[in-house]
Amino acid sequence: MGNVQMLLRQHVGAPCAAIVKAGDDVKKGTLIATPTGLGANIFSSVYGKVAEVTEDRIIIEPAEEQPDEFVPIDVPEDASKLDMVKAAGVVGLGGAGFPTGIKLNINLAETPMGELDPEINPELPADFKLGCEKGYILINAAECEPGLEHNIRQIEEQCDKVIRGVKYCMEITNADKAIFAIKKKNQKAIKTLQKALENEPAISMHLLPDIYPMGEERAVVRECLGVNLTTMQLPSAAKSVVVNLETAAKVAEAIDEKKPCITKNLTVRGKLNGGNGAHVFMDVPVGTSVGELIERAGGIDGKYGEIVMGGAFTGKSTDFDAPITKTTGGILVTVEFPDLHGANVGLLVCACGGNEERMREICEKMNGKVVSVARCKQAIENKPGAPLKCLRPGNCPGQVKNNMQFKKDKCEYIIIGNCSDCSNTVMASGPKMGLKVFHQTDHVMRSVGHALYRTLKVSKQVSQDIDF
Amino acid sequence: MSITAETAKAHAHDPAVLCCRAEAGITIEPANLEDPAIFDDLVDSGLLNLDGCLTIEEVLGAKLTKTCDSLAPLTADVLDGVKAPSVSAPAVEEEVAQEAPAAAAPAAAVPVAAGGMLKIHIGEGKDIDLEIPVGALGGGAAVAAVPAAAVAVADAAAPAAAVGEEKIVGTLTRKHFNITEVKRGPETKIEGTTLYIREGIEADVIADQELVKDFKLEIITPELYHTYSETVMDVQPIATKEGDDELGSGVTRVLDGVVMMLTGVDEGGVQIGEFGSSEGYLDENIMWGRPGCPDKGEIFIKGNIVIQEKTNMERRGPMAAHTAFDIITQEIREVMKKLDESLVVDTQELKSIRRPGKKKVVIVKEIMGQGAMHDNFILPVEPVGILGARANVDLGNVPVCVSPLEVLDGCIHALTCIGPASKEMSRHYWREPLVLEALHDEEVDLCGVVFVGSPQINAEKFYVSRRVGHTVEMMDADGAFVTTEGFGNNHIDFASHIEQIGMRGVPTVGMSYCAVQGALVVGNKYMQYMVDNNKSEAGIENEILGNNTLCQEDAIRALAMLKAAMAGEDVKAAEKKWNPNVKSTNVELIEGACGTKIDLVGNEQELPMSEKRRLKYS
Repeated sequence: MGNVQMLLRQHVGAPCAAIVKAGDDVKKGTLIATPTGLGANIFSSVYGKVAEVTEDRIIIEPAEEQPDEFVPIDVPEDASKLDMVKAAGVVGLGGAGFPTGIKLNINLAETPMGELDPEINPELPADFKLGCEKGYILINAAECEPGLEHNIRQIEEQCDKVIRGVKYCMEITNADKAIFAIKKKNQKAIKTLQKALENEPAISMHLLPDIYPMGEERAVVRECLGVNLTTMQLPSAAKSVVVNLETAAKVAEAIDEKKPCITKNLTVRGKLNGGNGAHVFMDVPVGTSVGELIERAGGIDGKYGEIVMGGAFTGKSTDFDAPITKTTGGILVTVEFPDLHGANVGLLVCACGGNEERMREICEKMNGKVVSVARCKQAIENKPGAPLKCLRPGNCPGQVKNNMQFKKDKCEYIIIGNCSDCSNTVMASGPKMGLKVFHQTDHVMRSVGHALYRTLKVSKQVSQDIDF
Repeated sequence: MSITAETAKAHAHDPAVLCCRAEAGITIEPANLEDPAIFDDLVDSGLLNLDGCLTIEEVLGAKLTKTCDSLAPLTADVLDGVKAPSVSAPAVEEEVAQEAPAAAAPAAAVPVAAGGMLKIHIGEGKDIDLEIPVGALGGGAAVAAVPAAAVAVADAAAPAAAVGEEKIVGTLTRKHFNITEVKRGPETKIEGTTLYIREGIEADVIADQELVKDFKLEIITPELYHTYSETVMDVQPIATKEGDDELGSGVTRVLDGVVMMLTGVDEGGVQIGEFGSSEGYLDENIMWGRPGCPDKGEIFIKGNIVIQEKTNMERRGPMAAHTAFDIITQEIREVMKKLDESLVVDTQELKSIRRPGKKKVVIVKEIMGQGAMHDNFILPVEPVGILGARANVDLGNVPVCVSPLEVLDGCIHALTCIGPASKEMSRHYWREPLVLEALHDEEVDLCGVVFVGSPQINAEKFYVSRRVGHTVEMMDADGAFVTTEGFGNNHIDFASHIEQIGMRGVPTVGMSYCAVQGALVVGNKYMQYMVDNNKSEAGIENEILGNNTLCQEDAIRALAMLKAAMAGEDVKAAEKKWNPNVKSTNVELIEGACGTKIDLVGNEQELPMSEKRRLKYS
């Protein structure tokens, strides 16, 4: 295998500081970098020798032999479960990368309900109460980025480990209930879960419609509990903690096996030799290069557009040499971009999709000229420069005004990064106004064989009956 | 875009259209509805058909029975639990149109226009009693019950019994001296009605300022109006204070029949203007009789100045030009001070009158402060002088409160603004129509005038507009006017001034040239009362000097509108596109209500067509 590159920044917060130097021997599980502020420990994911430590990464030359054994985390005998999660460097593996040891450091039983904004909760009765006594762990199993399959695969294959992790999270946070938020289309996983939860009265499932976004943290809270949070509120305002199911499994590993967080599950997919089905790789060492994983999946089939790391909506373009991190969920190789021959393009930037920079990149790759930029009314910038957050994820605020702007600015095409519902709204007026609509995920959707985001054909409501 | 509960309330009678796809079974709430403000455009472009569409108040709380897509108008067949409508708004509008003239006196309200923001008053329907607590307005406890049909009470403060005494807080006497001839001579002097200007004074002007590279003085008599000129930078009255009298009080001497006119270019031949310039034959480019312009028949003492190359868009260039030119005016002023009283042909007394108990109003005049020629010298010692004045830009563009008489005594020496047609030159302030109308209107109490500069940078714009808001708040004003010159960049702070005043509960009438080319670039919910100063036929800045500046007819409309607003009347929302008919309708409404004839001024159509206008604007 090629060199493994451990980025010093794999999570929310400040980059870690390396504690190894070139020439040092490392094993799987050797602590190589520690937080300098908010952050999480970083461990070597392979046996080998440190080749170089640069400003932003530690480069390790892997040994020929890679035994399964790992160095367990270094915690005292009487360490608490929370301490073990912290020591293992677990972060939110769904993509956000918030240190899990910090997220779980909350006593939900003593956390008061936050104040709910009536403006975004018009239907909530005045005497609204949550259905729990102490608090919830909400397990994000939405796997909302289209084309990714490793989360659902893990439920199907490692359901017990995930549930163990969930119970640990409940114990650490003092939650008395847990809910799996999972899309109803994942019938096999739901059946597996249903069986596993037969004797777990505290843990239930909430079935989600197959629209984007359902995996956004506040969308999970809303879907499971019926509470809309503001863009500034954390799930704790609804006496909840949201954890990704893969993160829950890592929590179980940290506590049961004292295993550090050194591997990642992911989906490699797209314009690959052998077709566009999903290649799910479990327990890939963090730091493995994108190129190596694409080769493992069969290699690129001919010409391609770009390689996306992460999902189609929130991912970024990457290259062969880039390493995966604790938060990488997908590597998607796309078909070539259409050529707009320098036509005028409007960008509709939204919290659900790429930021303006990413949208501009896509436009440039399509050979378009950005002449107008609009932002979805609900995309809120909490602080200047902070990532946009949607006020009501998945519920459109109307888009025709933006289309009018694009028309006025003489756009021929528009590229939108919206959710299913907003995309539908754009389509209700855009084409009639003569705007040709692209979605920023089009090239990825074509590559993975997923329907393009245009008009919405399914309901935003699904029945909670397991009627299949 | 989806709307809030507040917007839904404001648009209760407007059509209800889904902003987004909504599924059967949901309860309609404001967040499901599109903003009615954009419907006109959508209907125009065929994207929306409002036939059979229910109103917002009818649909809120109703249950959708069928999944509908974005931009679907909500009709009875897809809803359960539709509410009954309250008063039908369109009916009221029509009724007023028909009956208002019949109902002898009702005053009302008025209207008016701003670029794409024309506004007309709508009265209320039949059988509505309006009770106006006169006592609250100062004295008297009577309650006026105005009965019946199609009412439109604007002058709530009118009942004769109810007010305090008028108080004269200041007087200003203008002594007029007539000039019929201007000649050159060995010294500057006035003999009878002949003004002599010293030969060789040009050299003094050039020597005064390093940046002044050349200067020529011309005497333009009416026979010479068809003379080519560089762009007109400013038109100024020739006036001086008597003795130690301070500007805005005491006695001012002024010459009739003659004005100072400053024109100019830089050494490269570039006109000293920004958005357009008025160079050309004088008689084809000056809108005679505008408050800031010469009147037909007057003699111009026209100084054409040439300043250092490329300083036309720097602050120091226009400043040097104005400062140097004032040497001539000052020499005339010195002569005027010594004139014998026997030469006075007319004496005029201007009074600053406060009317306690009447609605207190304030005039906020936005003046340019972006730099270069966009500046104003405030409060010189002499009327429209230089000495003693502070440049608006140097004062940080912050609000400066002045008395109405200071305005009329030339407290602004204007370096002027963009756009020959909309800039307010120095003479404009000397004859400011809104100040004069408000001062003379017995139904309002004009408490003062606030000048506020328009800075270049947005952050500074909001800095000064917040000061304006607080200033007006301290005055306890019942209503405000915000006027501006030019258009575009300065409309940002113009809008912000109105917002800052409006958010303090003070109804505010905005006055600006807008029409087509000057359509507002920003807006807010307090900009409900807009008056458009446009006069041009096509609604454009056509580089005709003074054409689109604030005139008496605009002041009358603005006063009527502010009175309506202060009385709590609604003013109908503007039409979507500029429509000059709104102004004429409003003028007719006022004429009908007040029984007076409003003489409307002409526009460029009265002037001989210049080659430039023919090529560029027709």
